[in-house]
Amino acid sequence: MPNAIRPKNKVIFAYLALPVVWFVFAVFVPLITAFVYSFCEWKNGPTKTFNGIQNYIDLLNDSEFWLSFEHNIFLVAVCIVGQIGIAFILVLMINSRLVKLKGIHRTFGFFPSTVAAVSIGFIWKMIYDNKRGILNWFLVQIGREDLTQVWLNNEELVMLLVAIPLVWQWIGYYMVIILSAISSIDQEIFEVAEIDGANAFKRAIYIVLPLIKNTLLVCITLCIAGNMKAFDNIYVMTKGGPGTSSMVMAMYGYKTSFEYSNMGYGSTISVGIFVLSLLVIGGSQWLIGKMTKDKDV
Amino acid sequence: MKKKVLSLILSTVMVAGLLVGCGGGSNGEGGNLAYNGTLELMHYSTSEESQGNGGSDGFRTMIAEWKEANPNITLEENVLANADYKTQIATLAAANDLPDVFLLQGMNTAAWAEQGLVLDMTDIIKDSPYYDDYNQSYFVPFTANEKIYALPALTGGTCTVVMYDKRIWGDTFPATWADVEAKAATLDVTPIAFGNGGQWQANSCFLSTLGDRYHGPEWFMSIVNKGGAKFTDAEFVAALAETQRLFNETDLFNEDFNTITNEDAREYYIDGSAAAFIGGNWDVSYVQATLAETNKDLYDNTGFAVLPQSADAKKQRNSQNIGLGYGIAINPKVAEDADKLAAAIDLAYKLTGPDFSNFVAANYALGGLTAASDVDWSKFDQWTIDFYNWSYVDTETCEIYDSYVSSAVWGVLNTNMQTMMNGDMTPEEVAKLTQEAYEANY
Repeated sequence: MPNAIRPKNKVIFAYLALPVVWFVFAVFVPLITAFVYSFCEWKNGPTKTFNGIQNYIDLLNDSEFWLSFEHNIFLVAVCIVGQIGIAFILVLMINSRLVKLKGIHRTFGFFPSTVAAVSIGFIWKMIYDNKRGILNWFLVQIGREDLTQVWLNNEELVMLLVAIPLVWQWIGYYMVIILSAISSIDQEIFEVAEIDGANAFKRAIYIVLPLIKNTLLVCITLCIAGNMKAFDNIYVMTKGGPGTSSMVMAMYGYKTSFEYSNMGYGSTISVGIFVLSLLVIGGSQWLIGKMTKDKDV
Repeated sequence: MKKKVLSLILSTVMVAGLLVGCGGGSNGEGGNLAYNGTLELMHYSTSEESQGNGGSDGFRTMIAEWKEANPNITLEENVLANADYKTQIATLAAANDLPDVFLLQGMNTAAWAEQGLVLDMTDIIKDSPYYDDYNQSYFVPFTANEKIYALPALTGGTCTVVMYDKRIWGDTFPATWADVEAKAATLDVTPIAFGNGGQWQANSCFLSTLGDRYHGPEWFMSIVNKGGAKFTDAEFVAALAETQRLFNETDLFNEDFNTITNEDAREYYIDGSAAAFIGGNWDVSYVQATLAETNKDLYDNTGFAVLPQSADAKKQRNSQNIGLGYGIAINPKVAEDADKLAAAIDLAYKLTGPDFSNFVAANYALGGLTAASDVDWSKFDQWTIDFYNWSYVDTETCEIYDSYVSSAVWGVLNTNMQTMMNGDMTPEEVAKLTQEAYEANY
């Protein structure tokens, strides 16, 4: 930029200061205060008393928290395969020359991700409903009435059942990201591959995947981060039940802080979620990095 | 000189203004309170809630009357739906930022009193012009260390009532579970609808009364007063075991009871797919309003009953848990300004006094903290009269569990009880976990 029209540094900093201050206030201050409060006993009122690492000892021994963590990991696994995997396949299908009206497919696919998670929860709760739900209705229609059940009361299946709406909702979102990544690949590469006799499957595995590797990494990171904080649709559908069968970490933290009025331990849970999320994201990136590096060699 | 004259005129005008203000406040037209300013009030009687709900309607009406009588005071209302209210008031308490006047939930009384969040209202209550009319038993949930911290508000309503279709069950609902089971075997509809999807319903609308049949009031007050009773005591475990048996081993209830809420379950009764429904007074008013418009026959044939008695339960068999779960409390910070405190007290008297009771009695046949004077029964139909008699005359009362102790304790019980009702946890395990939460949080 020519110096004549470049604003003074002071002006630039002044303009930037406001969003930076806001960002610090909205992100760093809660994080630091939660960390400070996590060392306090703070329940049923304003009195806070420092109790060292007692909350963290409790957290390590809290079976409900670790069960919630397991549920989050389950969600992450289902959603990586379900959201990104299915999105990748759908993108390849949409990109095929045989498919018409590509714009409509993209728009319709993206649509569920614009709907509030709470609404999604209500919609799927109706689908699973025992008496009026479409799932049981369908089973009756195909003559498999023996399979009908109170779906959300099945402790074995409930985590999968609450994961399906999440998969359904976010496929379109990842489709758009992957589509943009694929569209940046030079078409000549595909043409050459086709002349060389590579079929669609080979093109997907040996050309598309390696070339959009970085985008997929971003998708996986987003998917993990999104599912480590899963809350809304599960809260609407099961409230973590039956019992704690579909309890996830964010809901456990919410319940502890606001329903049981235990802000101190609730803060400890928040810090726990933060640390575990960092570990899972960091761990997955390290693992993928290592796997792809080996392949390169 | 000019300045002096001007300041003299201004001072005179100001003093005159003040005098006029005071005069306005002391005559009957503008109320008799000296306070001029704002007073915050937080409650959960939303306009939606007040449709058909006598307590909420009465509460809002009293607020409107008080505002009109005290135009010099700006009442700043913060009105939230009940679930949001509970969350927000607990958060404000944690931040020591409670409003001037608010609704205190019984189970928070001891903890909040200990942390100085609520004003000791013992003398205020004794000085009340309506003191002699107050139903003293309603103060129990708001008492800690022999001091009272709130004036019980809204209407005294049951949390556990069996609404049944007389065309199916006969005029009288069976008095024992054995009889219910025998009759249920002959029915082709769901015998009883129940919804525990929110996890609190099995506690408030079932176990709280069923438990009383096993342990009686002394055991529960011992839990409240930390008098030595334990959740692992045999009588409480027996009540849990009976709850598990009824829900898991019999076909009395709709199979989706653990995934639907009471709002969904009562629809099963309304649409005729269930022969009875167990819920609270809030469900009764909804079902009444709906059936009056959609199914007059069922409306005319709905009866009210207490929970049937279990074979191994030894205590009173005619009990139902009723009470006033919330009370008007005052923030101790208000006491720093004597006039403001007087205004807050006046508001509390108004919201819980005879004006309120007479309003809800005359319009809804409900009772409040004070006994209602002369109710004109001729304007009510049979449903309303029957429910009034059932609630206040024909039944014994017992305590509502979650008006006492702590949400952290009930949260553990409610969560695990849901698993237990599916048959995936034993009553002993649930009792043990609840006792652990009790020792850690109360």
